[in-house]
Amino acid sequence: MKKLLSLLTVLTLVSTSALAAGGSVELPKQPWSFQSVKADWEKDKIYRGYQVATQVCMSCHGFKYIKHRDLMKVGFTEAEVKKLAEEMEMSVMDTFKSALSDEDAIAAYAKALPDLSVMNKARPGGADYTYALLTGYKEAPEGFNLPDTGSYNEYFPGHVIAMPAPLAEGQVDYFDGTNATVKQMASDVAYFMQWTAEPELTTRQQLGVYVLLYVFILAILLYFTKKRIWSDIKRKDTE
Amino acid sequence: MAKQQVNPNPSSKLEWFEDRLPLISFMKAELVDYPAPKNLNYAWNFGSLAGIALILQILTGFFLTMHYKADAGLAFDSIQHIMRDVNWGWLIRNLHMVGASFFFIVVYIHIGRGLYYGSYKSPREILWGMGVLIFFLMMATAFLGYVLPWGQMSFWGAQVITNLISVIPLVGDDIVIWLWGGYGVNDATLTRFYSLHFLLPFVILGVVFLHLWALHNRKVKSNNPTGIDLKKDTDFVPFHPYYTIKDTFGLAVYMLPFLFMVFYMPDYLGHTDNYIPADPMTTPAHIVPEWYFLPFYAILRAINFNILFLDSKLLGVIAMVSSIAILFILPILDKSKVRSARFRPIYKVMFWAFIANFFFLGWLGAKPAEQPYTAMSQVATALYFGFFLALPWIAKIEKTKPLPTSI
Repeated sequence: MKKLLSLLTVLTLVSTSALAAGGSVELPKQPWSFQSVKADWEKDKIYRGYQVATQVCMSCHGFKYIKHRDLMKVGFTEAEVKKLAEEMEMSVMDTFKSALSDEDAIAAYAKALPDLSVMNKARPGGADYTYALLTGYKEAPEGFNLPDTGSYNEYFPGHVIAMPAPLAEGQVDYFDGTNATVKQMASDVAYFMQWTAEPELTTRQQLGVYVLLYVFILAILLYFTKKRIWSDIKRKDTE
Repeated sequence: MAKQQVNPNPSSKLEWFEDRLPLISFMKAELVDYPAPKNLNYAWNFGSLAGIALILQILTGFFLTMHYKADAGLAFDSIQHIMRDVNWGWLIRNLHMVGASFFFIVVYIHIGRGLYYGSYKSPREILWGMGVLIFFLMMATAFLGYVLPWGQMSFWGAQVITNLISVIPLVGDDIVIWLWGGYGVNDATLTRFYSLHFLLPFVILGVVFLHLWALHNRKVKSNNPTGIDLKKDTDFVPFHPYYTIKDTFGLAVYMLPFLFMVFYMPDYLGHTDNYIPADPMTTPAHIVPEWYFLPFYAILRAINFNILFLDSKLLGVIAMVSSIAILFILPILDKSKVRSARFRPIYKVMFWAFIANFFFLGWLGAKPAEQPYTAMSQVATALYFGFFLALPWIAKIEKTKPLPTSI
């Protein structure tokens, strides 16, 4: 029976990872700070990502589950949040709407453009995919049949993406004077999008350690309790 | 027969109550004194674990219903509302979502244990049948639940699965339209799926009660790893404290991988496409069911040929339903008098081959419906049914090992 259990575990993992691996191109992995169990959201990186998101992405995409007020959960003060919202002529309770209305998007692209709030959860690879996509615009290789309406992207499935390269060197004036390279902006906005996709991520990861530790110790104690209770059965057998 | 009447002068309030409703003595008999074989191994933990998994699904589901909106325009947003705004909403949803997958893992092991130790044989045919019925109901419930977040996989999965009903000759198409409440999966479908998803777990609970009733019947009781009938009183121990503590310990061990997934990989077993809102105009590149349906999905797609006047689609559905329903008649198919695979050398090999083949089918179910996967699925499907159909013959030729006289 032990064989059965270990076999089941191994095979389940094999079959599900085979299922999860869908993309054809290997995504380069980035060292995201949120991948640590102790991680908190970094306010400065969220802020830079926010600048990219509001100044670049939101010309065409919305973040409909995000309000300025939510930034207070990652270390922004009420005054800072108010100021940022005012700069965008929004209230702190307004959701992040795209500057491009769905009607205009349909006229230009024949479809409404996707909301970005949960985008990092909607693509295999998550933040790595977002980063790879934003830095993956290239000249189409020789002989590649690129339609007029598309751009070539190394990491987009099929390589033809309708979205033109959104990031250009120096496009954003970072609040902290960070040099706005394409890679820097891609990294910041992918990080920001991880936060918009799962704001609970860091809480979850921090709490999980304690929960698992608690259950682990409980399991050990229960094991010895079980052994103690069953010991009298063994004794009766040998008598 | 004085005991047949209530005592007019009860010595305590408890006796007065017990004479009228023997609740306490019932619970004592079934949960405390129930004689369980003392040689049960850890494979026997998965029955109670399945019960706990069911309760956890019902409890977490109940709290989700307070915040979820079963409306095509609101469903997706309401999930995000739960994940972001509801206190501990993310935890409740992750428990429910990962809980569904783990419920299936537990039940698959539970069924596997029944197969290995011959728990389906006389006198446990009804007990086994109730279990198969629970498995069917679970699959329906899980399918309905996966539709509720109203993501792309929800929508298109619902489209594919409900379309299967259209293969029923003559009335199939009408039934599907009736089921959808329209001419495709739509808002009405979502709402009724929600109603059913709420209802079915309680139906499961009812059948679980019958399942336990059949088990606790003193003429039946639990099977054990040797598969032999236990006759001596000393072969048994009272359920409490021996199995209450063993099951609690097992529960804690189970909680480790389960909670690890809840806290660190909640979306790992799901599909990323389900974070894209349902869009009837855009079909996903691959429509894949949840992992726990994959073996049966492979069987469904393996049948891509017509037989005489029977359409391949109809045959595929028949094959898929039969692949589970055949478990109902397993007690008839397996004529060997020996229960446990420990004493059945041929059956033991067949069992492990069946398990390996089942995983192979699961792997195939996640692959696109193209060669060489289709041919592989056909072979694996033949092997799957071959296992069951070979059992009557195996019983005749197999030389079983001598059975012990007691444990």
